[in-house]
Amino acid sequence: MNVDHITFDNVSRFYGEVLGVNRVTLSIPPGITSLVGPNGSGKTTLLNLMSGLIHPTEGTIHVLGIEPRDPRKMFRAVGYSTQFDSFPRGTTGRQFIYSFLRLFGYPSATASTMTAEALDMVHLTDAADRKIAGYSKGMRQRVKLAQAIAHDPQVLVLDEPLNGLDPLVRAETLNLFRKYASQGRHVFVSTHILHEVDMISDQFILMSNGYVVAEGQIQDVRSEIRDHPMQVTIRCKQPHGLASKVFEMDHVVEVRLHPDGKGVLVLTRAADLFYRQLNHIAMEDFGIESIAPADDTVKSVYEYLIGEDSAR
Amino acid sequence: MAVYKLTYKSYEGESTPAWSRFLVPARFNYAKLTSIRFLMLFMTVSMFYPIYGAIYVYLSANPSFLATMGFMPFEIDGKFFFTFCQVQGTLSYLLVAFISPSLVSWDISNGALQLYFCRPFSRLEYVLGKLAVILPLLSIITWIPALILFGIKSSISEWSWTTENWWLGRSAVLSMMLWCVLLSLIGLAISSTVKRRVAAAAVILCLYFGGAGLAGAINLVMGIESGALFDLAKVVETIWADLLRFDSGSSMTVWSAWITLAILAAICLWLLNRRIRSFEVIK
Repeated sequence: MNVDHITFDNVSRFYGEVLGVNRVTLSIPPGITSLVGPNGSGKTTLLNLMSGLIHPTEGTIHVLGIEPRDPRKMFRAVGYSTQFDSFPRGTTGRQFIYSFLRLFGYPSATASTMTAEALDMVHLTDAADRKIAGYSKGMRQRVKLAQAIAHDPQVLVLDEPLNGLDPLVRAETLNLFRKYASQGRHVFVSTHILHEVDMISDQFILMSNGYVVAEGQIQDVRSEIRDHPMQVTIRCKQPHGLASKVFEMDHVVEVRLHPDGKGVLVLTRAADLFYRQLNHIAMEDFGIESIAPADDTVKSVYEYLIGEDSAR
Repeated sequence: MAVYKLTYKSYEGESTPAWSRFLVPARFNYAKLTSIRFLMLFMTVSMFYPIYGAIYVYLSANPSFLATMGFMPFEIDGKFFFTFCQVQGTLSYLLVAFISPSLVSWDISNGALQLYFCRPFSRLEYVLGKLAVILPLLSIITWIPALILFGIKSSISEWSWTTENWWLGRSAVLSMMLWCVLLSLIGLAISSTVKRRVAAAAVILCLYFGGAGLAGAINLVMGIESGALFDLAKVVETIWADLLRFDSGSSMTVWSAWITLAILAAICLWLLNRRIRSFEVIK
């Protein structure tokens, strides 16, 4: 067993007759892992299983080698932030973080210091002594994040942590995730904001109807989807000439001129071969400026595997 | 796969004892409760009868003073403590109806249970933490005054009175402790089941005061007497009377009263086990 990984071994969870997740087998390395999928796909169930809040009906889970049924060890390693606002009524931000740190057994002085550090990390120091009930949506998100990171966990499990954050705070939060990941920790993020998944994720997990539809690094997953030709955008000075040249390749199924007339979009069934052949074409005088994959994004993979409507 | 610098180090400092952590949630509940003036007023009023009882106990040991005032001498016996249990038992019920509704329901309606249970903190510790809020407050107006009254009587009487009547103190304390535990369970169970504070308080009060009406109706319609088992006050008074060796005139058998309380406690524990969970299935 890899003690750096979070592993799911044939895990199923049912709520009575209702399926939560089914036959999930995963081995997640450290880094930022994004969990995406439509509503009701089993994302929160997977997060709850990982954080030990619920236990699998079948299968086994290990978080850094720890079984979630061993809460004393488990919860020291995991910081969890729920999707919904969840706070004991009437507490201030500082009281909230402090009191939950005391549940870990930190002495008062240590808990106070850790509270101040966590609040500082999410830029809530000024509002720390105000009641959470009076916080804005963004502030509530930040205080939830603060309670998850306050005890300095090795695994961060965050359910929709970016909802309601303004662009500046969102950027800061993403930086915080990157910093955690760079220290060899796990940051597990469930989100609907697909373009941010591309920006921050080291790997992603795509879920639908309780099943894991795809997992791994986005380029690897995209290359496995053979039903949809890979899309490559080439910016160049001679798009008409380039278009006729690439269309001679057997594996190229479609070539479209870019609306601005300064490039082409190529759809190919053999991306690797295309890139090799493109090296030769680039020698000719088409004035190629850039070559970039157009659909190895989570959004594209999501659309191909789940459906276009769900990705919106 | 990226290569990560493994610079993470977990906390290796001192920890508080695991057994004491159940008191953490109680801390803020106490802070909130003690800031309510009505509660402080209620607690003060609840001490009137114990003070009256203390004067009564003192007078019982001064027959000459009673004769001077034209009163008949009287004894401190099971009847005295039974009346004490009735008065303080009713007040403690009202106290539970006031303080317990919000204890669990607010955590459930605010989704805070997940946060408690994704820490090294069990459901049992959570319930113990909530009991740690109710039980001390109940104790202040129930078994502690009973013990003090018995202590006063012992201190001003002959030693022989204490040796002959020690069971009286034991039974009074036991009666009140039993009541405190049962009330706490009822309060928490209803708080975990009924989300609205006012509705939860109403249910708690109905269970006590409505039970008499329900028992009377059942007895009247069905022509039986066992409907009294729905009257919580009657049930517990039967047990108190038995423990205090006092004839309360109840026709209920003691064992049926004990079984009724056991069933009620079991229902409360079942409700707590069902409701206090880290997740809620939204249908």
